[in-house]
Amino acid sequence: MSKRRVSRFSRYTGVRNRGINPQGFHVSQLKFYVLLLPLSVFMLLPIVFIFSSAFKPPDELFAFPPRFFVVSPTTQNFTDLFSKLTNSGIPVSRYLFNSVLITLVTVAASILVSSAAAYALSKKRFKLKNTLFTINNIALMFVPIAVTIPRFLVIQKFNLLDTFWVHILPMLAMPVGLFLLKQFIDGIPDEVIEAAQIDGASDWWIYLRIILPMIRPALATIAILTFQAAWNNADTSTLYINNESLRNLAFYLSTLTTTTTGANSVAGQGIAAAAALIMFLPNLLIFIFLQSQVMSTMSHSGLK
Amino acid sequence: MNGRSNNRREITLRTREALYGYGFILLWIVGFALFMAVPLVQTLNYSFNQVTVTASGINLEFSEWANYSRALFTDPNFIELLIGYTVETLVSVPIVLIFAMIIALFLNVKFRLKGLFRIIFFLPIVITSGPVIKELTAQGAASAPGIANIPAVVEFLATLPPALRSPVQYLLTSFILILWFSGVQILIYLSSLQKIDRSIYEAAAIDGASSWEIFWKIVLPSLSTATVVNAVYTVVTLSHFSENKVIRYIYDQTYDVHGGIGYASAMAFLYFGLMVILLALVYFFLMKWASRGTR
Repeated sequence: MSKRRVSRFSRYTGVRNRGINPQGFHVSQLKFYVLLLPLSVFMLLPIVFIFSSAFKPPDELFAFPPRFFVVSPTTQNFTDLFSKLTNSGIPVSRYLFNSVLITLVTVAASILVSSAAAYALSKKRFKLKNTLFTINNIALMFVPIAVTIPRFLVIQKFNLLDTFWVHILPMLAMPVGLFLLKQFIDGIPDEVIEAAQIDGASDWWIYLRIILPMIRPALATIAILTFQAAWNNADTSTLYINNESLRNLAFYLSTLTTTTTGANSVAGQGIAAAAALIMFLPNLLIFIFLQSQVMSTMSHSGLK
Repeated sequence: MNGRSNNRREITLRTREALYGYGFILLWIVGFALFMAVPLVQTLNYSFNQVTVTASGINLEFSEWANYSRALFTDPNFIELLIGYTVETLVSVPIVLIFAMIIALFLNVKFRLKGLFRIIFFLPIVITSGPVIKELTAQGAASAPGIANIPAVVEFLATLPPALRSPVQYLLTSFILILWFSGVQILIYLSSLQKIDRSIYEAAAIDGASSWEIFWKIVLPSLSTATVVNAVYTVVTLSHFSENKVIRYIYDQTYDVHGGIGYASAMAFLYFGLMVILLALVYFFLMKWASRGTR
């Protein structure tokens, strides 16, 4: 954006390459760094913390006041964790496979369902439109854990207990996702869609080729959120699944740190820290992978 | 869609538009009805009953408002937790909004490493949900307990009237935690900042407006929609955050011998009611502000 601006200025004033916003570093930018650097350190602290606590020996994990950085790093926690993993009845790869499959399908399907619904709610005209959005907003405010037990009855009625579907289906209708996506689609001017309609584009084409590319930052955000919800979801495995081989990794790792260690809670803490890091890494990876989608398209959404 | 195209010529354009609209939203409606709406109604039903789970199924015993009155008048913890939650939300929302807006304004200016900073400030999205925040709160790192024990701070807190003491203390100890909740909000602000036409700034600058005036007269009013969206999003994420004390309490009561499903459902509805009131409050204030800004 600013490149364009620079060139416009240079045309009129003869200033070349040094517009209002310099491309490289300039002393006037110092104030940004002074403000943003300390704050960004705060933002990075949790990540540093999760890495450092995974390598903490037991005495440092229980130190009071809690220490932030690890002083004498050890891989003991990971050795403990892996020795537990090799002793488990069902191979860990099974849980891992379940988690990966569930997460991928959930993310893809929920993006499709929420974005299609958001498109309809934002740009189509039909009678129940506002009612539906209001209902969604009400659901948005309702505590999700309170519906787990009635949800169990629905799942039971449809014979979904102990199936893969029970991991995926309840996560598809994510009220927050619909809310955010609708807000983003609201920001797309109607003129864009009207122009496409005049050119003979079908609804499906408009949705796929115009709406989806224009809300890519929001889609990536929802993808990150859904990914985390699905990947870290241990509740479904606890409540709706009795078949051990259909449970996911999040559930398995949580059992390692709570029930089986029981008496030995000191080692449990170490394993928990290591497991938390292992569970967190995919979140970080998906973030790094999708952030470019969020950032790059943000600058040219909308009409200019 | 399926088969509708045969009789397309017989229906009006408006009906067709509506049908396409329903077509796009159909999947969502089905999923939502099954896994949200039906369970929600069922929960409402539970909240008026004494629910006992037996081997043969779930037994309901109608108890009118007993669960509600227990939560409001008998339970020693619930009201306390709700008050704490209200204070925390009312303190956090303005901070998240202002912080997100300032960061978004900074990140909208061009300077070196801007991309890197954007990523860093968006990073909290992977922190506040999932295992990280659990680990952090478990280790006591999400709050800064040291601050509340500094003698000067203790003295300062003691001078405050009791009504102000807990918000200020919360602010001091959980400031970092509050900042971690602003990832998506920064993104929403950034995207609406980028929708402002650059020529408006130029026109204002030519008319002699300072950047301070440009901020108050142009930028802030055009961020009003984003602010409302962000406020709603902040209240919702703060309230559904898995380490939230009220949520934990309701969850514990669901599986508690003395609590039970009916009681937990009633509390969930009370919590929901409080959230609606809070959202209405925030919404009302922001709307007032937004309409003043555009006048």
